[in-house]
Amino acid sequence: MQDAFKDFTNQMRSLLWPEKYFAWQTLLMLSLFSWLVAILLSNIEDGNPIAVEVLSTLSWMFLTSAIWWALEKNKIKVYGFSIGPWITGAVFCLFAFRPWEDGRFRWALSCWPLISVAIMALPDFVNWELKVSLPAKDKRQPLIMVLLVNLLLTSWILFYFRVQDWLRNYPSLLINDLNRSAFVYDFEPNRQPIVQGIPLLESTASAIADELSGQPWYQAERWLYTRKNRLEDIALRMNNNLAAPDEQIFWQIAVPEPQRLGSGYLLTLRADWIGPVAGNQSFYIEKSCKITPEDRARTVPNTPASGEANATATNPAQSSTTPSSTTPSSTNRQNAAAQVSRVAVVDCGEDEATVQWTGEPE
Amino acid sequence: MEYEPIFPLRAIAFQVLFLMVAISIEAGIFRQRLRLGFKTSVQYTTVINLAAVVAGWIAFLVIEPLASPEIKVQIISYLLFDRLLITSWTAEIGGAILGIGLVVFFATYFIKLKGLEWILRLADAWKIPKKMEKLNREQRYMQAREGRTESQQALAEFTDSVIQANAASFTAILLLLLLRQAARSWA
Repeated sequence: MQDAFKDFTNQMRSLLWPEKYFAWQTLLMLSLFSWLVAILLSNIEDGNPIAVEVLSTLSWMFLTSAIWWALEKNKIKVYGFSIGPWITGAVFCLFAFRPWEDGRFRWALSCWPLISVAIMALPDFVNWELKVSLPAKDKRQPLIMVLLVNLLLTSWILFYFRVQDWLRNYPSLLINDLNRSAFVYDFEPNRQPIVQGIPLLESTASAIADELSGQPWYQAERWLYTRKNRLEDIALRMNNNLAAPDEQIFWQIAVPEPQRLGSGYLLTLRADWIGPVAGNQSFYIEKSCKITPEDRARTVPNTPASGEANATATNPAQSSTTPSSTTPSSTNRQNAAAQVSRVAVVDCGEDEATVQWTGEPE
Repeated sequence: MEYEPIFPLRAIAFQVLFLMVAISIEAGIFRQRLRLGFKTSVQYTTVINLAAVVAGWIAFLVIEPLASPEIKVQIISYLLFDRLLITSWTAEIGGAILGIGLVVFFATYFIKLKGLEWILRLADAWKIPKKMEKLNREQRYMQAREGRTESQQALAEFTDSVIQANAASFTAILLLLLLRQAARSWA
């Protein structure tokens, strides 16, 4: 047991400890050493942040060079092709791009193939005396081939991120089945995406409720009459509140025809998806709001100015809806009648709107 | 940043398949008509086809963000759902698609022509000089009889074989695409 342990430590030492000083293990030790010093420095209270930065950068550079050197000495081959530069390239990209930080991952991954090609081709362009020259004739064509293959890899990676951008900008696309696509494969076909038409319609409904609730009834009726412009204003405001505002080009809020409902109206709001869909089907979102009049005793004290305004506001509505209730030449009674005003009440229901499909799925 | 588990694996599979088809067809034609060896013809064809494909990807990646929203919608619809977002076919749409196809064909042809010339020059196998400095008697006789020099003839043979190879591989890929469409509507 002890012998086995001793054997193991000896092997580790011979692997990691250089036989001669001009070896990749030296660089690895340098990397570890500068890393340790950087850690020590950063733990000291008044440690110099620049020194820590320089030391950790040096540590990364030593590590990258050590890995490159080690892989040059012991080549890892896949079908006779050395993949060492791609490992070194990955380490270099980790060091140069810090992909764990937000938004850097795509740059690290996209540049990885090209950086690896550069690492692979560097010895062909620069010799040990640092003289730049074109690679030998017989090496040029394989180099071009490797470069083109890696450009193709980069294109595929960039295309992947482009598709991700689309899905982020237009998240409602994900409600569709991607199975027909000739380009992408979806590993999670049964997801429940947030269809942004729902928050769009909900916020539009609540905006309408805010605008109309408590307003005099005749103003609500006027609003319904000019609903097209009002809805456009509201929709414009709501679009800016969307989580992915780019998607607004794919939503169209239909201008509804208010239906008579007792003494009030039923307004059915509808948002149509006009963006790309799978198959011959499309979807929309609907939500109904009841707008009804209600007689309400006024609680606001009658200041002269507002009283005048209210009188002009309530009188036409009253004369149109209850013409028989007003008796002529009775100011007292009219004052009493003015104490009750007819206001609009908007009820959009508690249930959230749901996605509805039209047309046949293929 | 969150990423959806949606990968362009089908694009990669189709690309590899079409590249293999194109390379095998074109390499055969170049081997016959340009008298290249078996291995060299496959290598050269691979290089020029990869160059054409990479140029296509770069064109797509550059054009897509610059395109107008209407075009962008069509691109997204085609790539994600394999259909165009049009209600009816008009002559304009058909013409536009035909025009795009022609532009792609000739752009590919140009890339392959220049690429092959460049590779042959790199390998010192380019036998067609720019100008004939001195014509010998036989060549002058040939020029008088045929109306063109030997080098012009060689160049014509070269461009001919490239366009033939390009047309053959485009036809094969188009047939495969039609086959896919037929299989899909049949299934």
